[in-house]
Amino acid sequence: MLPDDMDAVFQALGHRDRRKILDLVANDPGCCAEDLGPHFETSRIAVLKHLRVLERAQLLVSKKAGRKRTLFFNVVPIQLIYDRWATDYRAHWAGKLSDLKLRIEAKHHAERNERKRRA
Amino acid sequence: MPSATNESDAPKTETAVFKVFIRGTIDAVWREITRTDTVQTCMFNMRLDTNGLKPGGQIRMRSKDGKYTGVVGEVLEFNPPHKYVHTFLMTQLDDPPSKVTHELKAVTGGVEYTLTHEGLIVGTKTAKQATQGGKLIANTLKAVVETGRPSFGVRFLYRLIRVLQFLTPKRCRSENWPLDKKI
Repeated sequence: MLPDDMDAVFQALGHRDRRKILDLVANDPGCCAEDLGPHFETSRIAVLKHLRVLERAQLLVSKKAGRKRTLFFNVVPIQLIYDRWATDYRAHWAGKLSDLKLRIEAKHHAERNERKRRA
Repeated sequence: MPSATNESDAPKTETAVFKVFIRGTIDAVWREITRTDTVQTCMFNMRLDTNGLKPGGQIRMRSKDGKYTGVVGEVLEFNPPHKYVHTFLMTQLDDPPSKVTHELKAVTGGVEYTLTHEGLIVGTKTAKQATQGGKLIANTLKAVVETGRPSFGVRFLYRLIRVLQFLTPKRCRSENWPLDKKI
């Protein structure tokens, strides 16, 4: 994911109403834009604009169903954000632990050699 | 079609959608999801066994050594390199088959890949696993096409799956899921 792809995701997530839209769609996959209206005090136009921003960031996917457009939440962009940092940290700590293991083993080895030399 | 069909006695079904932008060619993405020469790195390292990738053809997702079969289905639509639709049944579970659609669309700088899983019965294990699995497939497909291999976490998961393969239930053994058995 290039930085600008993630910009679109973070920009989309950076608004309370858009996060609320994601909650609503995630809980009711396949709902329509009209179903979302009553949950907001803003105009219908504003909601549609939020939908466009979410769709551009691929957080929402819309599918044609007859004359309607149904909406689905897409978790993949959020998973990619998670992987970018969480996986790196995991690898980082795994690396630290294996370093620790090697150092302890080396120390143990050195001490044993030292004892042998003295005996 | 709305995701939840509300026939009074029919079980409630849902649709899960996964979409990802992949920096690569449409042919490269298509090759990954339809390859039969090696295991499919984006599909849990399973091997695609088939008697023909065309409508009516049977597909089996088997372990690398061929011993176990995880997913079985029938091809409903095969239109390279844009659309591939098949039924989906997990051999480990008793849930009815659902429907998987892979759609590829060339856009500026890459490909939009959409995985749609329809007809999942709400609350079933298949629905739960499809939700987890779809995310991983879309994600790993992107990593494989763009970087040549899955992410660290997924490589770790695959190692774990291989080590734990001996725990797979008997009903998943491949002899129970031959290609000539229609799903």
